Amino acid sequence: MSENAGLIQLSGWAVVLLLVAIYGGSFLMSTMIGRKKENADGYMTAGNNIGFGISAASMTATWVWASSMYASATAGYTYGISGPIHYGLWGALMILFIYPFGKRIRKVAPKAHTLAEVMHARHGRSSQLMLAGSNIVGSVISLTSNFIAGGALVALLSPYSFTTGVIVVAAGVLLYTLWSGFRASVLTDFAQVVAMLGAVVIIIPAVFFFAGGPAMFSEGASNLTPAQGNFFSSEAFLMQGAPYICAVLAYAIGNQTIAQRLFAVREDLIKKTFVTATIGYGATVIGIGMLGVMALYLGMEPAGGNVNNLIPQMASTFLGPVLLCVFFVMILGALSSTADSDLAALSSIMMADVYGKNLAKKASPKTMLMVGRITMILATAAALVFASGQMDILDLLVFVGALWGALVFPVIASFYWGKVTNKAFTTSVLVALAVFIPVRFNWFSMSGATGIIFDIISVVGIGVVLGLMSFGFFGLKPAKIIAVVGALVSTPFVIGFLHDYQVLTGSLVAYAVSTVVCWAMSVGNRESFDFALIRKRTGDYDEREDDPSDSDRRDGRDDDFDSASVHAGQ
Amino acid sequence: METLFLTIYVLMWPVIVAGILWTVCKGFIKDMLKSKKEGRPVI
Repeated sequence: MSENAGLIQLSGWAVVLLLVAIYGGSFLMSTMIGRKKENADGYMTAGNNIGFGISAASMTATWVWASSMYASATAGYTYGISGPIHYGLWGALMILFIYPFGKRIRKVAPKAHTLAEVMHARHGRSSQLMLAGSNIVGSVISLTSNFIAGGALVALLSPYSFTTGVIVVAAGVLLYTLWSGFRASVLTDFAQVVAMLGAVVIIIPAVFFFAGGPAMFSEGASNLTPAQGNFFSSEAFLMQGAPYICAVLAYAIGNQTIAQRLFAVREDLIKKTFVTATIGYGATVIGIGMLGVMALYLGMEPAGGNVNNLIPQMASTFLGPVLLCVFFVMILGALSSTADSDLAALSSIMMADVYGKNLAKKASPKTMLMVGRITMILATAAALVFASGQMDILDLLVFVGALWGALVFPVIASFYWGKVTNKAFTTSVLVALAVFIPVRFNWFSMSGATGIIFDIISVVGIGVVLGLMSFGFFGLKPAKIIAVVGALVSTPFVIGFLHDYQVLTGSLVAYAVSTVVCWAMSVGNRESFDFALIRKRTGDYDEREDDPSDSDRRDGRDDDFDSASVHAGQ
Repeated sequence: METLFLTIYVLMWPVIVAGILWTVCKGFIKDMLKSKKEGRPVI
């Protein structure tokens, strides 16, 4: 044990042993399921038949990442006792609210590998590549963020440097994921979730009691502002909660790691898996956020003025060497389980969407596997380059998450409404982005009538968000009622006020514009898409090699599928 | 009273996490046993 920036450190040997145990153990697990001749479909979705235990563990492990732990603690430290709720609850609902749509997607495309691949079968190339492109950006940012978190953890709690930490984490994750892809990612997720959740169960009570127990709340109450001590703080809701509510569906649609698990889990277990992962993610992340709340009550100042140091600082201050090792494993498990999922997501997009649907005339499973593995190596290298810049990558992810709002209505509507066309999808997303970016970056003044106009658009956005969130569970009619009532109730609170919150306004505008444009361009369409065609156009690549009769799904490289596959007048 | 509320508020999360951990482990063991019975790999 030694000190760094006032923090107690683990010895070099202890850190080496922990890293070898984590990545060596994960590699050994992956060799247990490794096959000499891997299967392309298995590499992407593990045969669409995973049981409840593994899939629930994998969904939880994937969604809990180091950054979510740090951000939840930061929310607790910044906004007080309701901060972690406003971070973790809405993040958890991202998993919950996507499952009804997931069941529909799985019904129309039971053997698909990526959401973009289904979009290709539904619309054609431009919609597919738009969604695949946004998925790739999100996964590369997430991968980079996890490598940075690994480097920062090693630099803070060991004698080794940030660069050493980044390289070891990147090499460790690539080592056990490269050969078996998604199958290795999912199996190791189980071990990582056991380590991670087990650590949470031990660490939160340990820090609580070592930091003084219940007495800290009475003695430290003076360290909180009235807003921080208020469980129903409007500041916490507007600054932290509301932008995340908008992002609930956007992150779920924009993230291939969720879609991959939707396609991988046994179809009848989707609901059970996603409800369990919702509670698992929420409790874990909100629980870790309590470390930030405790730091606030204790009057602690973040080491180096960086709030991302809060969690390691709390662990280093109040835990002994053994529990500090448990903490180290928890953070490494969180970031590794998400990083391996990002690698598996990126490889499946390149395999199915880029190679399978756009480059190959006849997709060869053997070549697909090679594409997948090369993608993993290149993605790791790219993330290492980005990580070395130590840029504030999380800000970028928040921006991309808001940007995904433009995709939500066109994507969801495409799975239910036969009238949506490729042109409507593409145009609505591009127009929404063209409006979102100037609003988000304050390119013009929001004073006077301009602000009021964008407030009105935001009201429409609130209706869209509430309508879409309720549509999955209750169907179209109740969703329309909830959307209209929600928009009307919010109007007096929004008009003349909301445009001062540019992040929230930008997100709501993206939802509103893409929805209105997509609806307006589709509603007059007299033809309706036959959803049975999606099942024909997606499927296993390994079987396809031996199935020369199935030209429809193999040669599906049209720019626009809508016009070639309609039932008139439906 | 407020101290009691905050203590419960902080310590309830690890209890929920323990419940989820138990559920997931039980599910994993069932998956393993089922795959063994059917003679196929668990994943």
